[in-house]
Amino acid sequence: MSSITYLEAIRLAQQRALKEDPRVFIYGQDIGVFGGAFKATKNLAKEFPGRVLDAPISEDAMVGLAIGAAVEGMRPIVEMQFADFSTCGFNQIVNQAATLHYRTGTPCPIVVRLPSGGTPGSGPFHSQSMEAIYAHYPGLVVMTPATVEDAYTMLLEAIELEDPVIFCEHKFLYYHLKAERLPATVGEALPFGKARIARPGRDATIVAYSAMVHEALAAAEELMQDGYDIEVVDLRTVRPIDTDTILASVARTGRLLVVGEAWPWGGVAAEVIARVATEGFGLLDAPPQRLNAKETPVPYHPALWGTHRPTASSVANSLRQLLEL
Amino acid sequence: MPQLGESIAEATIVRVTFVVGDRVEADKDLLEVETNKAVMGVTAPCGGILRELSATIGESYAVGATLGYLEISEEDAERLGLNDAPPAPVEKPKKKKAAGISGAAEAESIKPSRKAVEPTVSGLPVPAHAGGASFLSPRMKARMAELGLHAADLAGVAGSGAGGRVTIDDLERFLQDLERNTISPASSMRVAVADAMRRSWTRPLATVVLPIQLDILLAHRKLQAVKAGPALYALRALAITLSEMPTVAGRLIGDRVIHPRSIDIGFAVEAEDGVLVPVIRHADQSPLVDLVERYNRLVELARARRLPGSDTGGSIATITNYGVFGLTMATPIPLPEQSILLGMGAGRITPFWDQDKKAFVPVTEAQFTLSFDHRVLDGGAAGRLLQRVSNLLGTPEEL
Amino acid sequence: MTKANSPKTKGSQTKSSQGSSAGTMARELSLRAYRTMLEARLLEEKLAALYRSGKIVGGVFLGRGQEALSVALGVHLRRGDIYAPLIRDQAGRLAFGDTILDSLRTYLGSSLGSMRGRDGNIHRGRPSEGYHAMISHLGAMVSTVCGGLVAKRFRGEKGAVGATCIGEGGTSTGSFHEGMNMAAVENLPLVVVVANNQYSYSTPNDRQFACSDLLSKATGYGVAGHRAVGNDLVDCLGVIGEAVAAARRGEGPQLVVADLLRLVGHGEHDDASYIPESMKKLPLGRDCLELARHSLIEREWLSKEEADSWHKAVEKEVEETASKVLREPAPDPSEEDWNAFASPSIGRNL
Repeated sequence: MSSITYLEAIRLAQQRALKEDPRVFIYGQDIGVFGGAFKATKNLAKEFPGRVLDAPISEDAMVGLAIGAAVEGMRPIVEMQFADFSTCGFNQIVNQAATLHYRTGTPCPIVVRLPSGGTPGSGPFHSQSMEAIYAHYPGLVVMTPATVEDAYTMLLEAIELEDPVIFCEHKFLYYHLKAERLPATVGEALPFGKARIARPGRDATIVAYSAMVHEALAAAEELMQDGYDIEVVDLRTVRPIDTDTILASVARTGRLLVVGEAWPWGGVAAEVIARVATEGFGLLDAPPQRLNAKETPVPYHPALWGTHRPTASSVANSLRQLLEL
Repeated sequence: MPQLGESIAEATIVRVTFVVGDRVEADKDLLEVETNKAVMGVTAPCGGILRELSATIGESYAVGATLGYLEISEEDAERLGLNDAPPAPVEKPKKKKAAGISGAAEAESIKPSRKAVEPTVSGLPVPAHAGGASFLSPRMKARMAELGLHAADLAGVAGSGAGGRVTIDDLERFLQDLERNTISPASSMRVAVADAMRRSWTRPLATVVLPIQLDILLAHRKLQAVKAGPALYALRALAITLSEMPTVAGRLIGDRVIHPRSIDIGFAVEAEDGVLVPVIRHADQSPLVDLVERYNRLVELARARRLPGSDTGGSIATITNYGVFGLTMATPIPLPEQSILLGMGAGRITPFWDQDKKAFVPVTEAQFTLSFDHRVLDGGAAGRLLQRVSNLLGTPEEL
Repeated sequence: MTKANSPKTKGSQTKSSQGSSAGTMARELSLRAYRTMLEARLLEEKLAALYRSGKIVGGVFLGRGQEALSVALGVHLRRGDIYAPLIRDQAGRLAFGDTILDSLRTYLGSSLGSMRGRDGNIHRGRPSEGYHAMISHLGAMVSTVCGGLVAKRFRGEKGAVGATCIGEGGTSTGSFHEGMNMAAVENLPLVVVVANNQYSYSTPNDRQFACSDLLSKATGYGVAGHRAVGNDLVDCLGVIGEAVAAARRGEGPQLVVADLLRLVGHGEHDDASYIPESMKKLPLGRDCLELARHSLIEREWLSKEEADSWHKAVEKEVEETASKVLREPAPDPSEEDWNAFASPSIGRNL
């Protein structure tokens, strides 16, 4: 059988959820007959009539509707067409969904899917990585799968969780990443919230998530030729963060580089480094480093975009500097 | 294959509208492809003759793949800048640079040269000009604390980190290497002395020397029923001197001189592989004869390692008689909490020019050293102290 | 399914003219409504007093002047409906099943209240019982109620309605617009009551919207529209009753616009000195509670003595409940789990 793309894994997870759980429905723009801007819901409207619905361009009301439906016992999935547009629904996400359980004791089990990250030529409003903004609010779970398998199992887990989940799927990985098979059950996979050692190593640790995991792995390969053995940790979930796995890795290597596609200020990299500095100060043999996007909106031209966010080369450069310290 | 939509990685050929040999016009569709979103046309970039077409219907091609070739006119080639000299090829490093999944433009690889730090004098374990880098990482400090090590223990370790810094790997290798030697545990006495000396050495210490004639003292001693050792004579002389000029035994903390509270003087006694320092309290207040018994008892207790806590510590100066080892001169290190240390070398019969007799006469002379914290006093005060001790030792009946 | 394209405006009609059983129902409904208005008014007077004596921390937002409109919506709702009241809906809340006890507990920060001190004043609710706890961002609750109705539709539940009340200021928000539009697209049984009380905090209507009649928004959204006299209980009961019934019949969203005047400050921290005296003297400035009492006594549905005794009884109940709640414990920070997540697997590893 042909290999499965990251996008197809998401589609299959939704299909499975719709099939096995009558509480699930999907709400988003262009997801019905059209199958979604990225075809994440292709054929699902037909297979599950009335449960894959086209929404008007109203991100605030889309999320509000999902919240109200979840309170009444449904398991809604909201597809934002691009992560960048979720800011139109930001208020409902952070002020109602994230606070509902804390304030009222009633859980809010919604999933908001954000097609995230950059692709060449997408520009400032179709490229953003928003995980840090949502992770900042207590009450939200933020997932950032980097593999086809994780895109599948973690979306299924997200639907089952009692908490609102911001599911950051990476647009570039949609069709560029493929796997041979998917796990048959969620139980076969690492549970959400646990980080994965994508590559064991000894000389330095890279902590990354989503598409950056692949850049990190490529950089580690490059450093092999200089005789360095680099460990790569895939966070998989950005909130909660698996601090234990990160600390264990730094205990092994003593050197830390955190890579994220989003901006540096107050981002996931900053959070990881804060935790390691606070809880694992005595493990560090060199100051921890981070590598993020340049401090400008995401540029449009591929030549500019190519250097705006971390790449395998820039990760390798940062690693070399870290190893020299 | 053009990029026909964000996140599109490939497209499938569904229709080809021209065959090889056909003339095509610019901007007209050459073929149709299907992405997962739509069926779209791929247009000719320029008018020309289709010379080669490698696209097969039903096959998928990645974005960026070459699908065919057009033969175009010279004017068109000029217009499209195809005749411009290609940019000078970038030096490809010998090592394979793995492209990340993005395949986008890559940053120039920085390869900072890892110059080995060259020793200025061969044979030394630590290169003489290793720059700065006394940075001890948190991990280093934690490990050193775990092992009870200090920076002094690493003095012989060459660092491989930035600027010659000692990294955790350097430390672990160093420790592993030590295992190849015979190792015996250090006694707690040894460790205690090591700690005290290490801490004392953080100050600027200096030593001055004065030769003192002992004949009068020795003659006095012969006549005593209860005999005091030369060290005790010196102790009493020092005590009287300090009662006259107490601040030389004071301490300098910041910009304040801390005066000594009482003239308590210690004296070094060798015990096992270390040194203990019993103390005569208020040594300025008892004559020599009254101190002998106390002194001898303290020496015994010290040698037996049974010195009570009340009889050690809190002294303001110490005497050390290294002369018993035959040493004529030494530069001992004062205790870390004290500013001065009076040392006595071995007495020797030595010629002395007697001005009156205009001849060399034999005298018994010993070098007395004052080692001191140069922040608290200078050579002049040190010299005056020694002179006064010398005078007092010349009038032993007044001690 | 056809949508109403033009707003249906309803004048004041009472159902009592339509027959005796309907008349009895109308009388019972009116009396229940009036009593609830009385409870709301006296409770809020107590809250105002508690605020001014420093017993309440945070904001106090009262619905004085809006009781008739609010209760008219609340009394037409029943178990299984979904209700998202806003800041001046004390009367509607009590009609829907909220209690004087929980209102006081939430305001006074008792750890025994439904919000357990984690949110306060008018942000209270029990969402799992169809009684939403509003968030401060006006308009957000419209789509939330829509979501609950969509869920019921998925489950095949029929006959339930969703309801929310909002001020004219709230209709300026994007959230309101998106929610109304979505309700119309989904053809949901949603009743939205707009209390046009002339001032949004200190902002008069001419700085809030430019359309001459808020009810024309119904046309814009493609929903049915109704007009009510906001301080006339009988009119409100009739108009809103019809709107709720229409929604229950499956006629899609119903927008009710009612004119009245806010008779208090925006909050108790505000003295509303920007409301001109002249406006207070207009018919729309008359107190709906007095008007209702007068109207019910005139119809001989209620005697003056009964009205007075109700007043006393409610006052007593409010007083006793307040005393009880004042003795209840405040939340203890050391007893809190300080965890915002519902999933047990998330625990403390954040």
